Amino acid sequence: MSAGKEGRALSILRDVFLANVRVIKNNFRPKCIYVAVMLRRMMEAILNKDAMDDKDYVGNKRLELSGQLISLLFEDLFKTMISEVQKQADNVLSKRSRSSQLDLSMLLVKDSITLGLERALSTGNWDVKRFRMHRKGMTQVLQRLSFIATLGHVTRILPQFEKSRKVSGPRALQPSQWGMLCPCDTPEGEACGLVKNLALMTHVTTDQEEGPLISLCYCLGVEDLELLSGEELHTPNSFLIIFNGLILGKHRRPQRFASTMRKLRRIGRIGEFVSVFVNEKQRCVYIASDGGRVCRPLVIADKGISRIKEHHMKGLLDGARTFDDFLREGLVEYLDVNEENNALIALYEQDATPETTHIEIEPFTILGVCAGLIPFPHHNQSPRNTYQCAMGKQAMGNIAYNQLLRMDTLLYLLVYPQRPLLTTRTIELVGYDKLGAGQNATVAVMSYSGYDIEDAIVMNKSSLDRGFGRCIVMKKHSAVNQKYENGTSDRILRPPRKDDRNKKGENPDWERMQILDNDGIAAPGEIIRPNDVYINKESPIMTKGSLKMVALKDSDYKPSRQTYKGAEGESCVVDRVTLCSDKNNNLSIKFMIRHTRRPEVGDKFSSRHGQKGVCGTIVQQEDFPFSERGICPDLIMNPHGFPSRMTVGKMIELLGGKAGVSCGRFHYGSAFGEPSGHADRVEAISETLVKHGFSYNGKDFLYSGITGCPLQAYIFMGPIYYQKLKHMVLDKMHARGSGPRVMLTRQPTEGRARNGGLRVGEMERDCLIAYGASMLIYERLMLSSDPFEVQVCRACGLLGYYNYKLKTGICSSCKNGDNISTMKLPYACKLLIQELQSMNIVPRLRLADS
Amino acid sequence: MDPPPEPVSYICGDCGMENTLKPGDVIQCRECGYRILYKKRTRRIIQYEAR
Amino acid sequence: MSDSEPEAMAEADGVPSTKLPPHLELRRTRVLCKVDAPDNTDTIQYSGAYASLGHENSLRFADFCKDFRVDITRISDDDMELDMVGVDPSIANAFRRILLAELPTMAIEKVLIANNTSVVQDEVLAHRLGLIPIKVDPRLFDYLSENDTPNEKNTIVFKLHVRCEERGQRLTVKSNELMWLPKGSEFLKTSESLTSTSKPETYTSFTCSQDSMPEFAGNPIRVYPDIIISKLGFGQEIELEAHAVKGVGKTHAKWSPVATCWYRMLPEVELMEEIEGEKADVLKQKCPAKVFEIEDLADGRKRATVARPRACTLCRECIRDGEDWEKRISLRRVKNHFIFTIESTGALPPEVLFTEAVKILEDKCERVISDLS
Repeated sequence: MSAGKEGRALSILRDVFLANVRVIKNNFRPKCIYVAVMLRRMMEAILNKDAMDDKDYVGNKRLELSGQLISLLFEDLFKTMISEVQKQADNVLSKRSRSSQLDLSMLLVKDSITLGLERALSTGNWDVKRFRMHRKGMTQVLQRLSFIATLGHVTRILPQFEKSRKVSGPRALQPSQWGMLCPCDTPEGEACGLVKNLALMTHVTTDQEEGPLISLCYCLGVEDLELLSGEELHTPNSFLIIFNGLILGKHRRPQRFASTMRKLRRIGRIGEFVSVFVNEKQRCVYIASDGGRVCRPLVIADKGISRIKEHHMKGLLDGARTFDDFLREGLVEYLDVNEENNALIALYEQDATPETTHIEIEPFTILGVCAGLIPFPHHNQSPRNTYQCAMGKQAMGNIAYNQLLRMDTLLYLLVYPQRPLLTTRTIELVGYDKLGAGQNATVAVMSYSGYDIEDAIVMNKSSLDRGFGRCIVMKKHSAVNQKYENGTSDRILRPPRKDDRNKKGENPDWERMQILDNDGIAAPGEIIRPNDVYINKESPIMTKGSLKMVALKDSDYKPSRQTYKGAEGESCVVDRVTLCSDKNNNLSIKFMIRHTRRPEVGDKFSSRHGQKGVCGTIVQQEDFPFSERGICPDLIMNPHGFPSRMTVGKMIELLGGKAGVSCGRFHYGSAFGEPSGHADRVEAISETLVKHGFSYNGKDFLYSGITGCPLQAYIFMGPIYYQKLKHMVLDKMHARGSGPRVMLTRQPTEGRARNGGLRVGEMERDCLIAYGASMLIYERLMLSSDPFEVQVCRACGLLGYYNYKLKTGICSSCKNGDNISTMKLPYACKLLIQELQSMNIVPRLRLADS
Repeated sequence: MDPPPEPVSYICGDCGMENTLKPGDVIQCRECGYRILYKKRTRRIIQYEAR
Repeated sequence: MSDSEPEAMAEADGVPSTKLPPHLELRRTRVLCKVDAPDNTDTIQYSGAYASLGHENSLRFADFCKDFRVDITRISDDDMELDMVGVDPSIANAFRRILLAELPTMAIEKVLIANNTSVVQDEVLAHRLGLIPIKVDPRLFDYLSENDTPNEKNTIVFKLHVRCEERGQRLTVKSNELMWLPKGSEFLKTSESLTSTSKPETYTSFTCSQDSMPEFAGNPIRVYPDIIISKLGFGQEIELEAHAVKGVGKTHAKWSPVATCWYRMLPEVELMEEIEGEKADVLKQKCPAKVFEIEDLADGRKRATVARPRACTLCRECIRDGEDWEKRISLRRVKNHFIFTIESTGALPPEVLFTEAVKILEDKCERVISDLS
């Protein structure tokens, strides 16, 4: 074996193999012990399946935060830059004769780090060669569709591995994620269970300095690994001390060591996120100060008695204390998933026993932000909560306090957003009561008119007249006054006015430019109609090559106006126009164009319980049922929505809302909140209802608005918070008679944006075949799509052409027109035949009389 | 041929000053140097239906 | 109601008709509000419905004249409650529907915005203005049809010009800032055709000032005063003109003359057996509407009585606890007695609204009659 190879192996053993165990002065002993401990663990796992580690256990997971990722990227870029400079300096120095002095600063590539960071952030591709890291989609544009969408997006956790694998383990709910990750908030479909969301109080740790902690451990009686033999390491009455995955040594009194460490943490001598975990089974004490662990705060209890006393809470209420004070005074501490295993946590103070070490702050905090909006989620079937988590992000409402100053590409706002009558503590904590996304609608649960099947809802026209469900859609349109390489640039012109005439005495465009100011830019407040020009811009015809620097004439410009393309009959308003310079120092003009919409048939609505439905019909108020007190519902929901969905929470929301309106107090429905008073009990709600003259079960005596007679059933009626979702028919409706076709195949284009056709797909085709509607298939698949007349030679079976001079078809391979037949074919078929011919495959058509 | 159009003024996004700009001017408030300007609302009367 | 009266009437008319058996009479005239669902909610119109029992069910005009009555139980400037007795639910419902949807009022329909730098968007502002009730008798105005020019007979013009001048202050714009312009629009139309140099055209063509009309002299048209239209920050301004026209609630809820209008059938609470002693106390306690009262009998016993049946809100609390309570108490609604509530928005007083509704129904009936003949 050559020395070189040996050296390489040694360096790999030293630097790559178990890189976390540092080799100091060629001392490989710690590494050997580490390997031995690993082997020991492995053997144990073989002998005893219970000792196996669970990779889905949250305590074994680490989250990567943006800071860590950026620091990795920066390290790579910085080192690359250094080595680049080194290489160049070597290059210069290796030259024999040098004329000038070596200036290292000249060798620095100016903005290589800036560019590298910018590239990674804009593409989302994290290519760090040094760490063999090639990740895609690491950056995302923050969703600003609604306030909740933003909050939900910033608490999202994305998995590293691919989603296609068919395993259930990582997707299943892990008991260890209690309180750390929301059990409800996960998308449906392929990423189900993999993409998670943080719970309300979860904190993700960041790296903390290791050195002081290690020396502290040694001070507290950890026996150094260096001084121990293998046998001594595993004596029955001692525990291994493992710090951030590094074996420090052993300790003879692990419990005492752990409690000392914890005491130090509680008085603030070491960081509050350092976790100390005594693993009795593995006979180890794990101390972790690394970043990316999830942890959550818990109230500390001494022998089952909470450290938080009445006066502490009073201070908190008065504003004299904050949460940080509680943490500093050692009343509350953060536990990570591993340390939770050493704690006995009581749900409430009254449940605490002398063994209890901690008390939960509040059970509803196990849910995340999105699930926290649901009132009484613990009464719902669990998938309904998951659906609502996905849907709450699509609800229109308020986005932020600065929503009217923002220039988002697409902005959905509700005209009259309301605060939910039935709130939860989470709603108050995140501020959803100030930036709501919905309205309290009086809902009658009954069948009406037949336009309410399949979850459709019937809406009251007068409610819509009065502003229910009204929304504003704002779209951004931008224009750039481009500068070109030859020194020319676009120009924005004063628009022609009504009495202006050009040289030919015409003025065709003035009507489309009425909304423009004299600067050629649309003015805010103007109503903009389809095909209106919003910027009267012209571009030079010559943009390349050098130009004699003379002033350009009018004829050197061609109009490049931007016109507004909206649906016909829709009247939008220019909301705001900003002028600014972009990074290339071009004048950039941005237009916010606003459209106010009232709900129409087909718009999507949803309650907060995963119960979405479209508006099925809009009915006059006088046809709506009314109660003995003259209350008329805003919308009617079909009762068939309840039995299979089992959204009991929605029913309680209705009851609570009704009680809330009658007694003038917001009722609460926090998750699991009944024992702690954060949710009102149905019994109490019913009592309030009865006190105000309603039936305890929320069912009212209603009169039909059509016949005037009472209805033959009591109707469950009351307010439910309804959200308007961003899916509106106006953006989706599409029909086409004839229209554009694709150049290549001459078939109709695809998609609404291109005014495309509606496809008769394979399955539809199968249905028609099965039914025997052959002429319909013929009509759909050829006549209405791409009919084409071809000349077919009966002799050779190839396609010919039509000679217009001779007025006959000619076969180009037979060179005559004797056996030509004319027939119809889809153009795509003719294309296929010709494409095959070009690859030396000759399809021949055999014609026969039918 | 036509009378010189009256210059269009813009409102500074920061201090609210009115600025008049000519084509080719730098987009910047004269007063505070803020680089985003807003257009002023139209002076025409806009008719809406109260529905 | 006593059962003897209708019988007497029938005999007086000379038509042979027998009295219905009491259980059928109950079904004919009352809605029974049971615990699970109301029963007998519909009315039987067919004259021969009880023919096999020898009972004539047709409605006779003389009967109607005798039975029908309207009592006003409560009235104020903007709401009233009246009892309408002796009509079918369909008639009562017709009044309700007409009041909600077919009685005309004036409401702002067109908003001309000259300036609006407030946070409220133009079309939202227009919508808000549209919903403000205008205190004016709509009978003095005509409908503005599509190709009419707005004039003093069909349009009311209001002006709103507010600006927040105080630095750091927030100005609340309320509906009383809307100023009536009796002479019509003050905004000039932008030169659609420059040919007419005679008189600048405005958005309305009033031939005379509205305040010269006798109805409005010294009685300016006002709107409902304290409705918040918008809030203004420093330097923000709203300048607009609002044109109100006549319309009906069917087209848009802003033209509805009532905030709401509804009726309920007269509650009737019947004790099916004597409820005495402790049970009477329980019953009195149960009812949140205080329908029941306790009567002291001579021998020191206590008995429950139905003191205020009209107060019953049908919470069904008294019949909730088990079948025995359900048997003791019968909650009913009288099918031909309606307690009508009209809440006016302020354009017309509620009693006028009701008489107008009657007129509209009359017109409709006449139209049907003339169409049929």
